[in-house]
Amino acid sequence: MSDFAIETKKLRIYYGENEIIKGIDLKVPKNVVFALMGPSGCGKSTLLRAFNRLLELNKEARVEGEVLILGKNVYGNGVNPIDVRKQVGMVFQYPNPFPHLSIYDNVAIGLKLNHLVKSKEELDERVKWALEKAFLWDEVKGRLDDYPASLSGGQKQRLVIARALALKPKILLMDEPTANVDPIGTRKIEELLFELKREYTIVLVTHEPMQAARVSDYVGFLYLGKLVEVGLTREIFEKPKHELTEKYVTGVLV
Amino acid sequence: MSVLQKIKRIDGFKIITSPAVMFVFLLFAWMLIVYFYNALPAFVREGLATYFKNVWQATEEASKEHYGLLAAIWGTVYTSIIAILVALPLSIAYSVFVIDYAPKKIKNALIVLSDVMAGLPTIIYGIWGVFVLVPLLQKYVMFPLHKHLSFIPIFSSPPITGYSYFSAGILLGIMVTPFASAIMREAYQMIPFTYREAAIASGMTRYEATKTLLGYIKPAIFSGMILAFGRAVGETVAVSLVIGNTFNLSIGLFSPGYTISSLIANQFGNAFIYEHMLPALYAAGLALFIIGLAVNIAGLYLFRKWEKNVRI
Repeated sequence: MSDFAIETKKLRIYYGENEIIKGIDLKVPKNVVFALMGPSGCGKSTLLRAFNRLLELNKEARVEGEVLILGKNVYGNGVNPIDVRKQVGMVFQYPNPFPHLSIYDNVAIGLKLNHLVKSKEELDERVKWALEKAFLWDEVKGRLDDYPASLSGGQKQRLVIARALALKPKILLMDEPTANVDPIGTRKIEELLFELKREYTIVLVTHEPMQAARVSDYVGFLYLGKLVEVGLTREIFEKPKHELTEKYVTGVLV
Repeated sequence: MSVLQKIKRIDGFKIITSPAVMFVFLLFAWMLIVYFYNALPAFVREGLATYFKNVWQATEEASKEHYGLLAAIWGTVYTSIIAILVALPLSIAYSVFVIDYAPKKIKNALIVLSDVMAGLPTIIYGIWGVFVLVPLLQKYVMFPLHKHLSFIPIFSSPPITGYSYFSAGILLGIMVTPFASAIMREAYQMIPFTYREAAIASGMTRYEATKTLLGYIKPAIFSGMILAFGRAVGETVAVSLVIGNTFNLSIGLFSPGYTISSLIANQFGNAFIYEHMLPALYAAGLALFIIGLAVNIAGLYLFRKWEKNVRI
């Protein structure tokens, strides 16, 4: 077993002829919130989607190098991406619970399809557990059969977090999870991150340096496909080594 | 307010468009009235038996004439249901294949092809049905099913000519598939990418993700089916070539039968010979009208109800 939750080696990602990620070596320790920050279009979301092989949905995308999840290269021979995705849950920029499934089924669907529970009782149990973990249970326990349309943006996003947690992953990838959520919802999700990092490793993509400063333990600054600087969040924000990083965290570089 | 201001407040576009809208409504009402008025003598003479009895006595002696449309109504509903059952899997499969699996080069060709198929004159399907589809179905599907499974009521009737509810239903199913799949294809293509990502990121296989996303466009699938049912109910030429045109009231798939539209098409030419046949045919048309209306209203109602629950 590796000491790191995620490790990339000479990772390069191309869309057709364009090189989006230009050789990244990154180490994400376990049980931390690791923020990937950088201006729009720097490749944060692309990098994140390399960790659970979600890039494969895009026929143009091509990955070179290695991504080790808990020590195992997910791009190695014979690795089933579905097994990777069960270990690495994901939350998206747009709160996307399935609108045609009830709140309950949104959490249960992955469990049902992957036969991860043996009985209806166990399923109920796990759904409740995941919703509690996501700080949503108290708000929805009386209306599990309602559709997500009745939830606020922040609640929807916590439902998506519950959907990911239900599969009991080790790692959670979050792609700007608060970009479409109001300030109160944002605060709740940020509080949730502190709770979740005890058991999970969280990689949080954000384009707001302030959010990275608030919630993360480590931060990586990504600029034009290159990792400019990585380190403890406090150090990066207090005395950045690189001029670009300093400009970014002080808001000069957008 | 001056006259000039008043004139300015009149919306010119509204003035031009409202008569067109009114015209559509009037036309609808007018048709309904014409059908009802002309069918009235049949209702007066036969009562409810017009729709609930299977009888077709066309004689020169007017007092012995009797017309009950049950066989044709049954045939219409039966063949249309078969058509839907055939078209549903075909059109879903076609839509998913075109959007998800077809290589870019043939994707557009496939879309154009299905649109052309939707627009082909129905007589082309009819002739193909008579000379190709019916003999094939008779030899390879109907005979074996009848031979081995004739204890099941729907397979009990012998496929003597091949012209039957079954043949008509299958042919209709093939004919309406391009219509149904056009709607589904559009809807399937418009599913936001983020839901596909969500499905795949939740550890679903491609098949499971597709199934989940099809759930998302259920209303479109439903509308496609309603539209297909509407087309199947009204289809005339192709059906009258392969259904056998017999006043038969049977659950047996391989029995010949009648549909309302094939009945009207077949009998209208000589209806004037008989004293009471024309009102009966008008009553048949009215039944078709009502079936179409009922299916569409039911479809819209269910669609709205679904839509209300699943707003994004």
